[in-house]
Amino acid sequence: MLRRILAWALAIIAGMVLGAASAWSMLAIGAKGFGETYGAWTHNRAAGSTSADLYTRAIIAKEGLLALSAREALYFNLAEDQDGRPLSEDCVYELSGRAFNARWWSVTLYADDGFLVQNNDFAYSIDASRVGLRNGAWVARIAPVRGDAAYWLSSRAARRDFSLTLRVYNPQRDFRASEETLPSLTRLSCAGERP
Amino acid sequence: MSAGKYVIGALLIAVVAHLAFIFATPRVLMNVAFDRLSAGGANTWHVADRVTPLSRTVVRPSPDFAYSACAYDLADGPLRLRVNPWHAYWSLSLYAGNSDNYFVIDDREARSGAEIVLVHRRRDAPEDTARVVQSPTTRGVALIRRLAPTSDEYNRAREVARADICAALAQ
Repeated sequence: MLRRILAWALAIIAGMVLGAASAWSMLAIGAKGFGETYGAWTHNRAAGSTSADLYTRAIIAKEGLLALSAREALYFNLAEDQDGRPLSEDCVYELSGRAFNARWWSVTLYADDGFLVQNNDFAYSIDASRVGLRNGAWVARIAPVRGDAAYWLSSRAARRDFSLTLRVYNPQRDFRASEETLPSLTRLSCAGERP
Repeated sequence: MSAGKYVIGALLIAVVAHLAFIFATPRVLMNVAFDRLSAGGANTWHVADRVTPLSRTVVRPSPDFAYSACAYDLADGPLRLRVNPWHAYWSLSLYAGNSDNYFVIDDREARSGAEIVLVHRRRDAPEDTARVVQSPTTRGVALIRRLAPTSDEYNRAREVARADICAALAQ
């Protein structure tokens, strides 16, 4: 009798742990690869919409609570360079983009915890009002120091696994996300590596 | 005796626990956000300080926006929400208890500001009022974003936000 009770208790605990662990890893894996990808950018069109399924809703809530629906804004995330390596403070990157068919856009750098990086460089984001909405091509540097860059996102104190979020507000009807229309990230060099 | 029934039992429990966890995640996170945003009281606008690395209320905040949040509770009846217009992009968005963004209005649709009456879906909408919006849940969050990428713009937005209203509908 006691053995049966113990066995069931063990089964229940094992089931709960397995269920929670699989759910947590689903959310973690889903956050990385859920939705659509354009080059290294990931995007989930269901963000904030009321038709979001169980998993999408949980992922969006975990990664971007209080996000806007796709009609109002599109969100794209990037966490890897052109070779699929995680982003690191030790490296210098170049982000180059073109004008978007939208009212406003911004690119913000977030630490691995999803909040702004703990530095006081006030270079947390670049946006259309600074870069110019229809200026055509633009290039921004992502590095711990600004150097001679016209536009700069500071990765100082970001350590490893930071990410970029691109926000496109009021996209025009003909806005089409693609590897060509979204900015591209290039790793230029890393500390301790030969260029 | 075989261990099969214990394994099957554990797997069934795992499936239920998995789904419960996924189902609960957005609701729990919204509850946390509701509690944080209503720290100074529900049913009133709280103008957030300018977003800095110390802003840790909600993940991935944009440093280019001036945010105002009203954690709302419709248990005591409908609310009146008013958004003072702003010269650049602004929007009012409403989020249900499960995190769904069920309503949004921006400056393109409401150049002179927005005014809505927020009611719970299962209750009657008051008559003779402005635009009525139905909330799927009793509690939720209203959020205003005003584009303000610089410190000066943020300060101006903060002044404009003082005229926003989130309050019980006057009887």
